[in-house]
Amino acid sequence: MFQRTTPSDISYAVVLRLLAGLGVLILVGPVLIVLITSFTTSAALKFPPPDLSVRWYVELFDRTRSAHIHTAAGNTLWVASVATGLGTLMAVMAALSIARVNRPAARALEASFLSPLILPTLAYGLASLMLFALLGFRPSLYHLVLGHLVVISPFVFRTTLASLTQLDPSLLESSASLGASRFYTFRRITLPIIAPGVAAGAFLAFIASIDNVPVSLFLSNARTSMLPIRMWGMMESTLDVRVAAISGVLIAVILILMIVMDRLVGLTRRMGV
Amino acid sequence: MRMPPQPLTLDGLTHGYGAGLAVDNVTLEVRGGELVALLGPSGCGKTTLLRIIGGFVTQISGSVIIGDRRVDSYPPNQREVGVVFQNYALFPHMTVAENIAYGLAARGVSKALQRERVAEMLATVQMTAFAERKPRQLSGGQQQRVALARALAVRPRILLLDEPFAALDKNLRLDLQIEIKRLQRQFGLTAILVTHDQDEAMSIADKIAVMNKGRIEQLGSPIDIYDDPSTLFVNSFIGSSNLLAGTIERLEAGTFGVRLDNGAFWPVASNRSFARGDAVFASVRPEQLTLATAEAPGRFPVNHALSLPIGGMLLHDVRETNGAKLKVAEPRVPGTSLSMGGAAWCGLAANARPSLFPRP
Repeated sequence: MFQRTTPSDISYAVVLRLLAGLGVLILVGPVLIVLITSFTTSAALKFPPPDLSVRWYVELFDRTRSAHIHTAAGNTLWVASVATGLGTLMAVMAALSIARVNRPAARALEASFLSPLILPTLAYGLASLMLFALLGFRPSLYHLVLGHLVVISPFVFRTTLASLTQLDPSLLESSASLGASRFYTFRRITLPIIAPGVAAGAFLAFIASIDNVPVSLFLSNARTSMLPIRMWGMMESTLDVRVAAISGVLIAVILILMIVMDRLVGLTRRMGV
Repeated sequence: MRMPPQPLTLDGLTHGYGAGLAVDNVTLEVRGGELVALLGPSGCGKTTLLRIIGGFVTQISGSVIIGDRRVDSYPPNQREVGVVFQNYALFPHMTVAENIAYGLAARGVSKALQRERVAEMLATVQMTAFAERKPRQLSGGQQQRVALARALAVRPRILLLDEPFAALDKNLRLDLQIEIKRLQRQFGLTAILVTHDQDEAMSIADKIAVMNKGRIEQLGSPIDIYDDPSTLFVNSFIGSSNLLAGTIERLEAGTFGVRLDNGAFWPVASNRSFARGDAVFASVRPEQLTLATAEAPGRFPVNHALSLPIGGMLLHDVRETNGAKLKVAEPRVPGTSLSMGGAAWCGLAANARPSLFPRP
């Protein structure tokens, strides 16, 4: 169809593109700068780098010289995996028990399960430290798991609840009328249908645990150091370029995970729910 | 081995919250192999009744008896009741074959027997070519066939059909109605069909239970219900009809002389009892009225406003002298053109059987 392009159309398009460009610049720009800086030859965290090399990646993967970073990365991965595993289990069970229940108590529980998403995590980190100290526990990775569990399980809870709400109840009735027990229905109908939602939530939870600072800040110590805290420490003391290299590795790993998850469960579709 | 057709008895079923009862003391006996339609407007309780039979809703009193078993304490998965849902409720993550095998697998039937039964059911509903498709790759009619095959694969005692044709377009609907009727006969199944579509109920049900406000107003064959509606509600819900106000003037054996308010006098047979002077409505179907050019006993004057050719019929829209609208349907004489407008006389067609109802 023939359409005349008016000056206002043009200005609209220009403004829209400028804003979009600005958004992309703000979001992607820092990532690119960190990535480029991580390939510097210089010993200073400076942009632009004088020349490019993989020097700092070699340094980062060196077993002896980067041992403390490897320990912190190992701790972080372990805590994230265990917290995500436990958190997913708990959140799925919680979602299953309150989805489709219309009583006010169920809505109150839903709000309280989701509350860690809104409450200031820093305050929670401090509170959990005080609680553990009060109970006389010495800091350990288990406490970190507990701390992370509270903060990250709402991600799984939310996506699982959304999947359950979208699950057509007549599928469950249909399954029952065909002679299936409740457990059989859960295993063959409910679980396969909500699985992508659960997986998407678990992925978000895992990422949230990996780069959690507020809780780790309070609950970790030298023995149980966590990667983000360690990185901050390195920045403060030596402006170590390995921090940029760690960021590069994290960005690459998460990007790959995201692509895999998106292929498997349509992650970007489910993150909005 | 096929089970003999199982009778279904509903005994004083009641369900509801607060003031209004969704199902109000419903008693219904369905003979083995019969297809009974629960017909009524939305909110009349027909769907709740179906859900009680399926075990998805628990009644506050009364019993459901399938065959010789009182199933009130049985959960849905032990009732052996097949359900075809309005939205088909096919499992979206399974293929057609897996959907049909589901009930068998849930009962622990061997893989070999599952395969055999699935093949048989696919052939029965002519969907063999679609065995490996996912539900979303099928049209509405095909999904309906799969849903039917899935429900029948486990050889249920009773088949429940919840508005199964509502989402289909008109041509397809008729095909599937015939298909369901055929399968129901072939499997000797007792079936309950919930519908708000009177044509659907008329065409495939052996009996119709017309429901209103949680009660069954009338139970009978489609022809009985159409020709001899027992209440004013059934009369107006089934087919279209004209209500003419009048008064009982004369009583004879089984026949009432009715003086209509428009002046005409009709002798009407009715098995209801009326006394002289009772205010009544005479209900006549459009095809039981006829238009004429001359006055005669039993005819009253009307103004002929409009005629619509509807297939082989002509539907006349006429007005009584007091302005009340009537519908008159007559066979159209092929080749004749419409004569529109003007004064005419309206009377009963030959063999017309008006119904009488008390007028409040």
